[in-house]
Amino acid sequence: MTTLLSGLPPSLPILSGGIALLLLCIAWRRSEGRAIVIALATLLLAFASLWWPLLPWPGDPMGMLFVPDGWFTYIAALILLSSTATMIMAWRETGTSSDEFYLLLLLGTLGALVMAGSADMVIFFLGLETLSLSLLGLIAWRRTHPTADEAAIKYLILAGLSSAILLFGLALSHADSGSLRFAAPSLEGPEGPALPLAATALVLTGLFFKLSAVPFHTWLPDVMEGAPTPVASFIAVTSKIALFAALARYFAGADLLRPDAAGTELAIVALLSMFGGNLLALGQNNLKRLLAGSSIAHVGYLLLALLSPGPFGLASAAIYLAAYAAATSGAFAALGGASVPADIAGWRGMFRHRPALAFAMAIMLISLAGIPPAIGFFAKTYIVIAGVSARRIVLLVALVASSIIGLYYYLNVVRAMMEPAPEEHRAARGTPANAGLIAILAIVTVLAGLFPETLVRQTHSLLRPAPIMREASLRPAAPHDILYRE
Amino acid sequence: MIALPALILLPATGGLTAWLSDRGRQASSLSWWVAITTILLQALLLLFITCTAEWGHGPWLAHFSTPWIPALGIAARMDMDGLSLVMLWLTTLLSFPCVILSARDVGEQPGLFHLLLLATIAGINGVFLATDLFLFFFFWELMLVPMYVLILQWGHEDRRRAAIKFFLFTQGSGLLMLVAILGLVILHQHATGIVTFDYFVLADTPLMPTTAMVLMLGFFVAFAVKLPVVPLHVWLPDTHTQAPTAGSVLLAGILLKTGGYGLIRFVALLFPEAAARFAPVALALGVAGILYGAWLSLAQDDMKRLIAYSSVSHLGFVLLGIFSGSPMGMRGAVVQMVAHGLSTGALFVIAGSLQDRLHTRDMRRMGGLWQALPHLSSVGLFFAIASLGLPGMGNFVGEFLTLLATWRVSPPMAILGTAGLVLSAVYSLTMVGRAFLGPPHAGQGTIHTPPPADFGPRQMTVLSLTMALLLLLGTYPQPVLDLSLPAPAHATPQPEGLHP
Repeated sequence: MTTLLSGLPPSLPILSGGIALLLLCIAWRRSEGRAIVIALATLLLAFASLWWPLLPWPGDPMGMLFVPDGWFTYIAALILLSSTATMIMAWRETGTSSDEFYLLLLLGTLGALVMAGSADMVIFFLGLETLSLSLLGLIAWRRTHPTADEAAIKYLILAGLSSAILLFGLALSHADSGSLRFAAPSLEGPEGPALPLAATALVLTGLFFKLSAVPFHTWLPDVMEGAPTPVASFIAVTSKIALFAALARYFAGADLLRPDAAGTELAIVALLSMFGGNLLALGQNNLKRLLAGSSIAHVGYLLLALLSPGPFGLASAAIYLAAYAAATSGAFAALGGASVPADIAGWRGMFRHRPALAFAMAIMLISLAGIPPAIGFFAKTYIVIAGVSARRIVLLVALVASSIIGLYYYLNVVRAMMEPAPEEHRAARGTPANAGLIAILAIVTVLAGLFPETLVRQTHSLLRPAPIMREASLRPAAPHDILYRE
Repeated sequence: MIALPALILLPATGGLTAWLSDRGRQASSLSWWVAITTILLQALLLLFITCTAEWGHGPWLAHFSTPWIPALGIAARMDMDGLSLVMLWLTTLLSFPCVILSARDVGEQPGLFHLLLLATIAGINGVFLATDLFLFFFFWELMLVPMYVLILQWGHEDRRRAAIKFFLFTQGSGLLMLVAILGLVILHQHATGIVTFDYFVLADTPLMPTTAMVLMLGFFVAFAVKLPVVPLHVWLPDTHTQAPTAGSVLLAGILLKTGGYGLIRFVALLFPEAAARFAPVALALGVAGILYGAWLSLAQDDMKRLIAYSSVSHLGFVLLGIFSGSPMGMRGAVVQMVAHGLSTGALFVIAGSLQDRLHTRDMRRMGGLWQALPHLSSVGLFFAIASLGLPGMGNFVGEFLTLLATWRVSPPMAILGTAGLVLSAVYSLTMVGRAFLGPPHAGQGTIHTPPPADFGPRQMTVLSLTMALLLLLGTYPQPVLDLSLPAPAHATPQPEGLHP
């Protein structure tokens, strides 16, 4: 048992302890203020614990339940930060704030962390279900809201269905290899390729449902629209980061450049997600639905990074996840802080009434669209580097074409914000905490875009994939040395 | 030299200052003063750079380099050669009419207007200096957003469509260029094992002819959209017509030149063999542009649209010059770019002023303006004549040199190109005739009971200086010709001692 738990990252017990403490507090006496203090302290403590020296672990994930490697640490940092952002968004927001809300958020964060760090199928499934079930509660939070029930039921059915498919895939995988290790089964097994192929396909289908990749995406816009804004941000950011991290870990040992079934399926889904997501967002008037479409498209870009193994593949995905998390959280925070209906017409004239908020929102949209100086520009460039390096020509063309579609609808929102407003109606402003969050995210988005060097160093070789050496290995580039030698 | 990045930071900070100085105040002229000061400082800075440049130490005049994202081989590297210097001077000179004469456009939010204007100028300066491909692309994209907002906020009636068209065309082609840049970088990595975005290192990448052609086309499309080259010019007439006057001047005067500059620096010099093989197609496209632009100019009633199509025609000569493959053609192309920037910029100022005064750009509703607006009309006549290529003006030098260089490569193309000059005389003079001469339009006197105001001393000063520059360029083009031959890509500039 001790060997099995030797890789347990300290952030998981901290989160569990925080949840237990919060439960006790709620049982004793309700207080929203105390709940958010406990929840935030737990998140920050867990975040700090990422830098604690790990218990010695063999370094070989075989037979372990958790892999506390660099990939986990990075993803965990992103998850914890975006959960913190969600919590700040939810603080005192009408209709969401209550003790249990923070409890569910902590529980979902725990599930996301478990998923990101699991090396074992059972652990992964536990994490996934923890996240899904707490999400269900969060989505249905605004009971009086007409679309909340619809969203929750939709999510319940599809999450259950996809979990079942995923579980079936995991079972087949176990039947094939006899191991519970969370990794794509090898096709060269003694039983022939049929069983591992079926297992991979089913696991992928389950993951794609949760990740809302096209063609398994139809639930996302409705759920995002029905859910409270902080929850929509949680679905779009935290849950997607965790799922993508797990997907990357699942394929860490597989050679995705080989044109076999899994690689082809991923490529087709990536292509469909880029176009499907952007086309879906193109027709939306509701900003939440628009962001849902945009998040589907970003899953497509991330899959391109995943499909480009080599020195840049996962590093670019890691940076893209950070850029996506910052910009999407920021956009949702701005939506929450604006206190106007989340349709484009409601945002008209925002540059006149609330210039700071509109400016921040514009930065977020520009980052999502991939325009400098925001970090989204560098992140997208990095993914294109990875794609070019792996010669993913078709997917690159799709990325360029669908990015142009994306530009249109992001800029459309900016344009609406610049138009003169129809009338002078100003509702209540958001909380100062939310305003601070938006400001911080906007500053981070621009600064990281101007100076991405630190991020690039952080994300270099986080998850060591099976060594796929191309003709030339990557040397740390030093153009100046080359240039100025002589 | 630290002055090179200062050339980008100065307009950027000036813009921010202008914006902050006008926050919350309406109809304040403070931001205008800040903007003017910024451009003046920029001109002084450029003068300083010109004086302290390393003349006589080879073609590269100034250098700056500092690591930016070393993990990916990206540096904030800028180098200036004569071509960059000429382009920077053009940018600096044209920013004066943009700011001085745009006061009527601004209306509300003057701070934001000046911020966007100066941010665009900062991006353009960066494009003319960057010799790291990532940095170049960064600036290339950076200059689009402020321009988009300028058109969107201060444009004319159909501005939304025009702005989005402009953005999608330029951004889409820019992404193609990004893929080409990264393709080059990755090929270089495969060949040498080093990831770098450095222009001079990448220029030595060994490439298969087909690969070089594909990459070259990726760059070519991006620059061809900007220049514009004929099948890709669709965005230009709308955008120019709908942009505010300052935006039109900036677009026609400088932004289009980034396309020509890019063609020289990143197509002809980075892929010389592929560019030489592509030259026949490019020459044909250039001639097509000259004739097609001129032909459509003939049919326009909208004055700004006419000038926009004439830009397509004039910039066809730039394409001819660049792809004629001779130093003479290259020099001619640069002179043509400078002259076109000055003359078309001025023409847009005049068209914009007419629109302000008459509330129309339609030449069917003009006529006989010479009596009412003698100053404006005579200036208009001057620039129309300059634009049609009368000897003695810069445009003539440019067109003559490019046509001469083309004649050496392909006489039929040169003949067809010359035919474009005839058409340009026709449409330019028709424009003058319809707008300024002839009987006054029937409705004119009654609608504008007080006759529209003529150009004041401010406009006349700016435009007279532009005229003087055009005449100088036409009669004594030697300094520009000496400078404008671009430095070859393989001549690695002298290290500056920053990196021992």
